[in-house]
Amino acid sequence: MAQIVVDGVRHLYRPPRGKPVLALEDVTLEVREREFLALLGPSGCGKSTLLYLIGGFLPVEGGSIAVDGKPVTAPGPDRGIVFQHFALFPWKTVRGNVLYGLERQGLPSAERQRRAQQFIDLVGLTGFEDSFPSHLSGGMKQRAAIARTLAFDPKILLMDEPFGALDAQTRHLMQSELLGIWQRTPKTVIFVTHDVQEAVYLADRVAVMSARPGRIKTIVDIRLDKADPNVFKAKAFVEKVDEIWGLVKEEAIKAQGARAS
Amino acid sequence: MTASVLNFVVRYSPLLILALGWELVSRLGLVSSDALPPLTAVGAAWIDMMHDGDFLSNGFAAFYHSDLVVNGAASLWRAGAGLSLAIVIGGALGILMARWRAVNIVFGPIVEIFYPVPKSALIPVTIIWLGLGDGSKILLIFLGCMIPVTIGAFNGARAAEQTLVWSARSMGADRVRTLWDVVVPSALPELLNGIRTALALAFILLVSSELITSQNGFGYLIGSLGDNGSYDAMYAVVLTVALLGFAADRLYQMLMRRMLIWRQ
Amino acid sequence: MATVELTTSAPPSAARALHGALRFGVRIASVVALLVAWELLARSGLLTPYQLPALSTVLARIWHDAVAGDLVLNTWVTIIRAMAGFAIAAVGGVALGVAISRLPLARWFFDPIVSIGFPMPKIAFLPVIILWLGVYNVSKLTMIVFDAIFPVIAATVIAIQGVERELIWSARNMGASERELLWQVMLPAALPQVMTGLQVALPLALIVAVFTEMKMGGYGLGAAMMTASRFANSVGVFAGIVEIAVVGYVLVKAMSVVRRRLLIWHQEAAEPA
Repeated sequence: MAQIVVDGVRHLYRPPRGKPVLALEDVTLEVREREFLALLGPSGCGKSTLLYLIGGFLPVEGGSIAVDGKPVTAPGPDRGIVFQHFALFPWKTVRGNVLYGLERQGLPSAERQRRAQQFIDLVGLTGFEDSFPSHLSGGMKQRAAIARTLAFDPKILLMDEPFGALDAQTRHLMQSELLGIWQRTPKTVIFVTHDVQEAVYLADRVAVMSARPGRIKTIVDIRLDKADPNVFKAKAFVEKVDEIWGLVKEEAIKAQGARAS
Repeated sequence: MTASVLNFVVRYSPLLILALGWELVSRLGLVSSDALPPLTAVGAAWIDMMHDGDFLSNGFAAFYHSDLVVNGAASLWRAGAGLSLAIVIGGALGILMARWRAVNIVFGPIVEIFYPVPKSALIPVTIIWLGLGDGSKILLIFLGCMIPVTIGAFNGARAAEQTLVWSARSMGADRVRTLWDVVVPSALPELLNGIRTALALAFILLVSSELITSQNGFGYLIGSLGDNGSYDAMYAVVLTVALLGFAADRLYQMLMRRMLIWRQ
Repeated sequence: MATVELTTSAPPSAARALHGALRFGVRIASVVALLVAWELLARSGLLTPYQLPALSTVLARIWHDAVAGDLVLNTWVTIIRAMAGFAIAAVGGVALGVAISRLPLARWFFDPIVSIGFPMPKIAFLPVIILWLGVYNVSKLTMIVFDAIFPVIAATVIAIQGVERELIWSARNMGASERELLWQVMLPAALPQVMTGLQVALPLALIVAVFTEMKMGGYGLGAAMMTASRFANSVGVFAGIVEIAVVGYVLVKAMSVVRRRLLIWHQEAAEPA
């Protein structure tokens, strides 16, 4: 029994002005427990929207989404989210941010402090516990956001292009760190990205989405030795990237064409 | 078309409800009809004040000799004069302050110091200088309105992008030309916002000074009607002034949008 | 072991303090220059002592009033009046602003009222308020609140509607209830812009306080100044302006210190590399 079951989901995007647009059409997907699934697709294909639906931030209007057999109706701490632009509370310190989810869960104070420190250390922000987000670099902010979400121990991790706002060097560092963290505290991860290399490096399976209206085009299994430090240059890796890039490119061209018309 | 009319009605219907509420509360005697005359009585008083004699015999003179128009004209003349002076002089000053260091050094502190001074505190001073007539009120409005205009012009001119100025210079424009062709248009959004503030301030200072001491104008009219006990007429004038202030702001916003059309 | 990047830290406190002191010094210098110019102009004979009394005379008068007259009382009355009106407008304005941005019924009802009320010269309603509430302090306070509440409402509505969606979603994600969401996330996020609205409302409260005193008499700096004006006491009038200007300056300054303290997390948001 898969942990997350998305069945025939459709979603209409209703802009404040103008006509509604079909963002997702008949999306069907199953995510197994503890697997790392990447959601890949051209701009506008609805991958973030799908993530928000699973997260319970947008209402499911057509089709169904079930987590552990129960339908998704609202956001909750079982599905932790990490946003591209960090969404840290700027008026709280790093520690304050990480503590927030723990406070909502009503853990005793000593336990909260211990857990918070544990995760701050885990993401490598020791020493910056009392800094405000405005004092941190992009990479540090993202670590803080990840620490905050990991701290309240969600079974499922939803990540919306979390490294998209970082520079290339930081991005590479964060990718290998995320993999390390995930291997140590395994969770189900749904990772939205438009970067094929990132998807192939991080994921067990890559789901390629079609151009708008989005549906799942293909799912590709990734069986690679991620421990190899030169994995990005390994033949198997490069072939996978090519294969998946070909699929994405088809859809990206369709998306461009649709926009130009 | 009907959608936008319907939209308009729904949006402003709370005002209609308030108007009905007013009429009911007054007529039912829930509040003394001295303190709150019925809205219809206020309306009747307004019509009454808008004509002097009747239209048939006096023609348009009935209109522009009427109490409301005569006093209104006096008020609006004062506000208009003070505001225009403030816009021209304040705008020029702000832009010059932004582009020429010397001007900024001299006038900067003056503007900064007068910024937090409550402008209504200047009423007695203008009376000392120019007496109780038009002059003191125009001076008051001029001084009060100059501040937001100058600050808006200053901030706007300061924000003029260096790259735009340099482009103009490299294309042969001299300092003065650049000022007119680049700095002023760049400053326009902030300057126009400053003028919008000044517009509201002009109405406020106008009414304030006329409430304190005046021989004609809206404020005078409100005061004397109140003293006479003609409360329905007093309400009529109060509402007229309030709505004029609102209308002026709305019209100005439309004008602003026209002028800044390149910004959309 | 992950490497921790070093961020460019804020300039060391010593350099910052020196910078601040320098700017303060320039400000003081220009104020002093202005005052000197005043004195010289007054003594030059270009204007009569009635039109422009010498600064020294005005200061002497202020001193005299402080020691032997009503200055302390009047200043106190005006400040308390302005602050009370401001406080009511602040609390009421934020509450209304929150209601308008969160409850569709409140938004429908108040939107035209606020949108029309904002640019109206609300001071025109003073005679109406006096009609209802008499010639005492209540009327003055009501006028102040009526005037000062609008910028607070407008700023609060914009601020709350502008809270980033992702902050709200993160909080909901972590299990925050609607009440917790409002108090722990939306209001702090809205604080910078709400503070700006408050910074507009405070000097407004002072202006209206002074004006109502001028019109209605009683105690206060405005009333004192108006009395001086009626007696053609130009020194008294100028003294009043200086006193009110100082009060205005102090209040505005205090407000910006409060802002800097409350928003320490915001002000220092200079984005590092």
